[in-house]
Amino acid sequence: MNISINIGSIRFVNPVTVASGTFGHAEKYFDLEEVKKLGAIVPKTVTLHAREGNPPPRIVETPSGMINAIGIENPGVDIFIAKKLPAFRKIGVPLIISILGHTDEEFVALVEKFNAAPGRGVAALELNLSCPNLKHKVLVAQDPEAIIRVVKQVKAISKYPVIAKLSPNVTDIAAMAAAAEEAGADAVSLVNTFSAMAIDTRTRRSRLGNFTGGLSGPAIRPIAVYMVHEVYKRVKIPIIAMGGIMTVNDALEFFIAGATMVAVGTANFINPRAPLEVLNGIKDYLREHKIEDIKEIIGSLQL
Amino acid sequence: MSKIQNILRVAANEKICPKFYQLSFAAPAAVIKSIKPGQFIHIRVNDGLEPFFRRPFSVYQANKYISILYEPIGRGTKTLATKKKGDVMDVLGPLGNVFAMPPKGTKQVVMVGGGIGVAPFLLLSQALQRQRGQSPKRDSPLSLVLLYGGRTRGHVFPMKEFKQAGVKIHVATDDGSAGVKGRVSNLYSNIKPDPKTTIVYTCGPHAMMASVQEFARKNNLRGQACCEEVMACALGACLGCSIQTTSGYKTTCYDGPIFDLQEVIF
Repeated sequence: MNISINIGSIRFVNPVTVASGTFGHAEKYFDLEEVKKLGAIVPKTVTLHAREGNPPPRIVETPSGMINAIGIENPGVDIFIAKKLPAFRKIGVPLIISILGHTDEEFVALVEKFNAAPGRGVAALELNLSCPNLKHKVLVAQDPEAIIRVVKQVKAISKYPVIAKLSPNVTDIAAMAAAAEEAGADAVSLVNTFSAMAIDTRTRRSRLGNFTGGLSGPAIRPIAVYMVHEVYKRVKIPIIAMGGIMTVNDALEFFIAGATMVAVGTANFINPRAPLEVLNGIKDYLREHKIEDIKEIIGSLQL
Repeated sequence: MSKIQNILRVAANEKICPKFYQLSFAAPAAVIKSIKPGQFIHIRVNDGLEPFFRRPFSVYQANKYISILYEPIGRGTKTLATKKKGDVMDVLGPLGNVFAMPPKGTKQVVMVGGGIGVAPFLLLSQALQRQRGQSPKRDSPLSLVLLYGGRTRGHVFPMKEFKQAGVKIHVATDDGSAGVKGRVSNLYSNIKPDPKTTIVYTCGPHAMMASVQEFARKNNLRGQACCEEVMACALGACLGCSIQTTSGYKTTCYDGPIFDLQEVIF
């Protein structure tokens, strides 16, 4: 049975990863032998300069999901490369590094930092074009011209394959994916969170310190499956899919809709075993259905 | 994938006073032994998606069983109240950091607990009692004092285990139906706030901990606060439970739940 897949020039031994911002402190809490089984790990988004994040409260529980407004709290790229990257490398799983620039120049500077970072282990760069929690009026991922501009500049210099992470907060996500493909992106990942809010009716205030946030979890999954399929019909580059995957069946929906790789995100908060259960479940499914290669189910939706 | 994810069987789920329940889990001895005062467990209260988040609880007892205290008021705790002996539940833990033991020279440990926030103080008291038993200096015994604030007498439970740990208990209730009427601050007359020999620990609602912080500041007392926030992962990954401190945002689950009393910005 073959469950390996390719993103750009990189081969991943299996198609299961964790979504950015949902995985951390592996050394303290996780059985590393099990973490090593993942296809890839995506650490939390890194920015050029340190960010302290948004004021609390930062999360709200919602029906079958949650709204978050963390605000990309991170130590900045230099400290990330010096202090955090070595620990992630030690795990031995390929890393997809999520980066976010507030300007084109910042994206370029971030790529240069990772180009120059010593050591191996980085497999690809994911451009976070779609964080809804930074008070940007328009996200890069909401403007096809901006997507083309940023992806082109990054592709021109990156020594790693480039993945564009798209926002679901658009009218036509397939058009955004097409823009990323046109600019040379090696893959797209979707979806980031849906802009959302929750109100405390006693105080009539937002229940988030940032006022608004991003909705994730099983609540968004059917919309994410739809969007993945829309994008699959439009572009040739691989899709890394995420959006409320809790179980193997959820992941299979995304593969059948057109995903090459899946990322488990919010589920990590509820069930830290979820990524491995998904991985083992994929193998069981292929075995049960006598399918030799995971690629046979990618985009296999019967019309 | 996780070293700290356990499927545990409910050993008991009992009302210990009109408002509070105690839920106990049978657990492997190694897990029980690894629990330190101040740590918490993160419980998935249902197999399905509602409520969606796990719920964090301070460990109340860690002897034969791991137990927590709770008051069934929200969706999570009301679900907990339906659990029966023999039910199995998915529990992460123990998680978080640990109460620092009082420095040498401490003679008086003051624990200020509000409602269910009293829970982490039993393990602390038991640890201090053991420490006291080992101390060669019998002439300067450590005195353990609990100032407990509850809304009504229905929120005051027997506290037998605290008494067994040698804790002197003073109670205040908002309506005066048990103990002194009013806030825990009305109980401060029961302690001697000497900065050289007194240490304060607090856990409870923000407003109460803020008043304890103010009291400690005025009297120059060292102390620690056990904090609680809504948590998603409880593993330091999502950064959702961060609170403001004098040195920036810190996660309640991973950097805490125990913080220096003067460090937290309530």
